[in-house]
Amino acid sequence: MSASFAITNARLVDPESGHDGPGGILVENGLIAQIGEELDLNSADEVIDAGGKVLAPALIDLRASKEPALTPDGENQSSLAAGAAAGGFGTVVLAPNEHSPLQTAGGFAGMTRALGQHGVRVLSAAAATQDLAGESMAEIGLMAKAGAVYVSNGDNPIADTRVLRRVMSYASQFDLWLSLRAAEPGLSCGAVATESDWSARFGLPSEPTMAERIAIDRAASVAALSGGKLMVDRVSTADGLAAIRDARKRDIEIAATSAIAHLTLNEVDAGGLDSAFRVDPPLRVEADRRALVEAIAAGEVDAIVSDHRPTPFDDKGEPFAMAIAGTLALETLLASLLALVHDEELSLVEALRPLTAGPADLLGLPQGRLTTGAPADLVLIDGDTPWVCHPDDFHSPRGNSAWAGRRFIGRVTQTFVDGQSIYNYNG
Amino acid sequence: MTRAAFSYDFPHRHLVSVADLNPVDISLIFERAEHWRAVNKTPDKSSDALKGMTVLNLFFENSTRTQGSFEMAAKRLGADVVNFAIAHSSAKKGESLSDTARNLAAMQPDIMVVRHSATGAPQFLAERTGLSVINAGDGMHQHPTQGLLDVFTMNRHWGSVGGRRILIVGDILHSRVARSNIGLLSMLGAEIRVCAPPTLLPTDIDQWGVDVFHDLSEAVIDCDAVMALRQQRERMSGGFIPSGREFFHLFGLSHDTIKRAKPDVLVMHPGPMNRGVEIHTKLADDPKHSVIMEQVENGVAVRMAILELIGANIRKEAAA
Repeated sequence: MSASFAITNARLVDPESGHDGPGGILVENGLIAQIGEELDLNSADEVIDAGGKVLAPALIDLRASKEPALTPDGENQSSLAAGAAAGGFGTVVLAPNEHSPLQTAGGFAGMTRALGQHGVRVLSAAAATQDLAGESMAEIGLMAKAGAVYVSNGDNPIADTRVLRRVMSYASQFDLWLSLRAAEPGLSCGAVATESDWSARFGLPSEPTMAERIAIDRAASVAALSGGKLMVDRVSTADGLAAIRDARKRDIEIAATSAIAHLTLNEVDAGGLDSAFRVDPPLRVEADRRALVEAIAAGEVDAIVSDHRPTPFDDKGEPFAMAIAGTLALETLLASLLALVHDEELSLVEALRPLTAGPADLLGLPQGRLTTGAPADLVLIDGDTPWVCHPDDFHSPRGNSAWAGRRFIGRVTQTFVDGQSIYNYNG
Repeated sequence: MTRAAFSYDFPHRHLVSVADLNPVDISLIFERAEHWRAVNKTPDKSSDALKGMTVLNLFFENSTRTQGSFEMAAKRLGADVVNFAIAHSSAKKGESLSDTARNLAAMQPDIMVVRHSATGAPQFLAERTGLSVINAGDGMHQHPTQGLLDVFTMNRHWGSVGGRRILIVGDILHSRVARSNIGLLSMLGAEIRVCAPPTLLPTDIDQWGVDVFHDLSEAVIDCDAVMALRQQRERMSGGFIPSGREFFHLFGLSHDTIKRAKPDVLVMHPGPMNRGVEIHTKLADDPKHSVIMEQVENGVAVRMAILELIGANIRKEAAA
């Protein structure tokens, strides 16, 4: 791609400013040089006619998982990056999980550098505690120096309040968010479903939604005590949203993310007990899903995350109640979210804000907005193309998708990072 | 009624949940169970209904009674029966259930009888192998043959459970037997009561179409049958009740606690019993009320009926 190019005849959508209208962008040296309907095309080496497609900032995901390096048959760095690029993502943040706890300060800088070789900007969070056990602190400072963008205890809550206080207080000196899965350990332990009429009939181990509220109330109070910044990881219930509203009234520094699964699926989708729908937090009731979508529209949730989790066949080769949690999501996130736009549950700007400016602002990133001088991380979206989700077509070698077989309308046609095309659907 | 009267054949190849059945299916099962019950009382019990077929008993959880009952039922129908005690073999070696199932399916059995600690495991096995699956208990979800034999037992005493008042006492929360019984009894028009401490009831029990009681002396009033459930000790982690002794005093069945029920009330228990926890020994052994041994006897007949009906459908499919 030339050093200077323009994309014209597009529908510009910039969630940061709320702009949604016709226009184009001139890119020079990897940065956005001009925006608007009147571009100076003389300086462009190449002009791309978008044909009315949506042109928006490339998406940012704050929570994806990788498999441990060298996993046989597994997702590797290049398949992860290729899937992310195909899903419209310019930036992906890896979060710790039990297989890949991201706690080795010694290899951290090398890992993030290696991850950066694949076009997509791959950043990493740092483990909060050793082995995510919630007992002793991981080397947060060394990992922060090596580029960690937030601190997370993976899927595990930190049960000991004293440890939670210290982690939050310690992370605050680096001005890093502590991302915490909101689950009251005693109530949530062993749960694979939400406590509801549905799960009771199936006799599934379940957690009440109030477990999320209790955990957020507690963590918010600890944030007030320690002066730390709390990022509620994958809020999924109306009760949890209420707790976040209460904390905001108390001037506590609190942010929230939601996973695409909880915005687009509910427990009824798991009605056939298909292990593909075993996710963490468990799928909720429809009223919770609606509350989450309303919170997205109201700007109460800062980021939508993929919670992309490649899982070997064997882990899903068990019945629902025993299967490992997680679904692939990077390649289907935008399309599944667009269904909410087509259904008029969200506007396009509302849907894209938590995937662009929202997460960029949380981490202080320059991308994620259509502003002169910002990095040219862009995505072209054809909002009208119908397609069917076939996991065999994924870039990921894994196939554990909760959206397998879904019909979507709208797909990413091209993704740019730093003005370089990293994905082009039309080849 | 007879099969001809319905002009309808039992359509199922699996029995995973009582929700798969309709009242006519249930009548067909009971009609055949009545036949096998009579045959089982004669010295010539053998039949060739399942001759040539292999029934695989896959018990991932220990069981004596249910496994024995299925084995006896299948053998009396002329099937070859193989028992796999998976709890002690491949599951321990790290093989996924999906792989275990496909390996067993490759040996070409015809019917798998499955008990597993996880909800949905029988359905999962049916989907992954294509074999006929009969659920012999999955997690806290369903135990359809137990539910059927309980209703069959009540039907034999009353003709029909419709309009009868039936009380289920004890650990509803962890009980697959209760879920199967509630499903069947509400389908057949019985009035269902449950009685337990709130910690042993599902939170949404009020939506199950049952009347909920916490006081046994009120719950038993005018009941036609009272069913105790076993305290599922292996599923209880972390203090659902203070002690077995306290439970017996509040929720245990005895001649004293059932005295406000109908005079000829049936007392039932799916077994194995914890005498002195859910039920007083004297009541359990009182032939005037207790039908617990009838339940066991009918269990073999009901399982024969189900195996026979499913086996006939397998043959029909193979012929087509």
